Amino acid sequence: MLKNIQEWTLLLVILGITGVFGNSLGYDVLPLTAVPGMIVLILICLAGFILHDLIPINFPSIAYISIIGVLVSMPWMPGSDMVIKWTNEIELLALTTPILAYAGIAIGRSWTDFVKLGWKTIIVASLVMLGTFLGSAIIAEIILRAQGII
Amino acid sequence: MKQEENSIIGIWKDWRLHALVFIVVVLTEFIGTFSIPVGPGVILLLPMLYALIIGLILYFTPAVKEKQAKNAEPIIVLGVSLLLAKIGVVIGPSLPEVIAAGPALLLQELGNLGTIFIALPVAIWLGMRREAIGMTHSIGREPNVGLIMDKYGISSPEGRGVMAMYIFGTVFGAVFLGLIAGLLATITPLSPLSFAMASGVGSGSMMAAASGSLIAAFPELENQIIAFAGASNLLSLSTGLWISLFIALPLTEKIYALMTRNKQD
Repeated sequence: MLKNIQEWTLLLVILGITGVFGNSLGYDVLPLTAVPGMIVLILICLAGFILHDLIPINFPSIAYISIIGVLVSMPWMPGSDMVIKWTNEIELLALTTPILAYAGIAIGRSWTDFVKLGWKTIIVASLVMLGTFLGSAIIAEIILRAQGII
Repeated sequence: MKQEENSIIGIWKDWRLHALVFIVVVLTEFIGTFSIPVGPGVILLLPMLYALIIGLILYFTPAVKEKQAKNAEPIIVLGVSLLLAKIGVVIGPSLPEVIAAGPALLLQELGNLGTIFIALPVAIWLGMRREAIGMTHSIGREPNVGLIMDKYGISSPEGRGVMAMYIFGTVFGAVFLGLIAGLLATITPLSPLSFAMASGVGSGSMMAAASGSLIAAFPELENQIIAFAGASNLLSLSTGLWISLFIALPLTEKIYALMTRNKQD
């Protein structure tokens, strides 16, 4: 368990450093200004992983992480204003770029399978994604309008 | 599960991988965003899309060996964790808003059935057989693959179909959603917030790409987009399997039976 925490921490710090630099280049936030926010995000992740290991129920660590993130930034939580202020310096897009860079390298392994798919599969698979995305957006639109939210 | 956890041991030492990613990130963020006008809308080319494509190209160069590609996989999960932590701290302060939008968030999960009405008929029309069922019943992420394998077996036509969808989504899903999200939100009359909810398809990188491109197109709505996309992705993760099992798959079977019967007449 300790060994794992150490490995998670090191990897999150590596991701964090890359993220902070991307954040400064792409979104003009000075690296030092973004560091506290990145540390907060890393701590939230670690707390989620540790809870997932400690609590013996089948509940994914990403769900713990989301819930902890929500809890520490809710208005009644002491220090939440700092959490929000610091993490505001980290752009969502700056976190996604390193993820997709790693993903690009990893999907190279699926590439040979991908090119074997054939044009019919590519068309149908594109329609699956389009249908899922558009279907959800249309229902969301109808209900948000009915509720008067948009 | 234990094995999965052990597989991260020592990956931090893969300096070749981290250095490559660092260089790719610096380079792509430096290039920045480009937008191509398409009629009234825009297609957004974002650093994350270049990063994915450069990463894929690197795989075929000597710079990346099989080891790097293997090591990169668990890091995606950690990266998505950071992303979810960020989404969490955006949802926290806007929780009342997210709860107010609860009915829309819940019901738009049913919109995922849209694939059955759009993709299944085309699949049958193109001459696909039962592969079409595995392929078009859902967006084909891990829980759906598990469900189909469990129900029809790994070497069944349905199993081949869901695997094809899975591979397509893995390789192309983020790019595809990233490109169409910004475009659809700018050319259709639908609100970017509806598309934000639709971004939560149950895959972290697809949600990141779709919501990222929405944020780039509508920066003034950034926090609302993040909150809705994140909340919807959490719902998709927790309800996706059940919707597939009890609604999507039976419905796909039914429409498939109906359409192929008419064909034989």
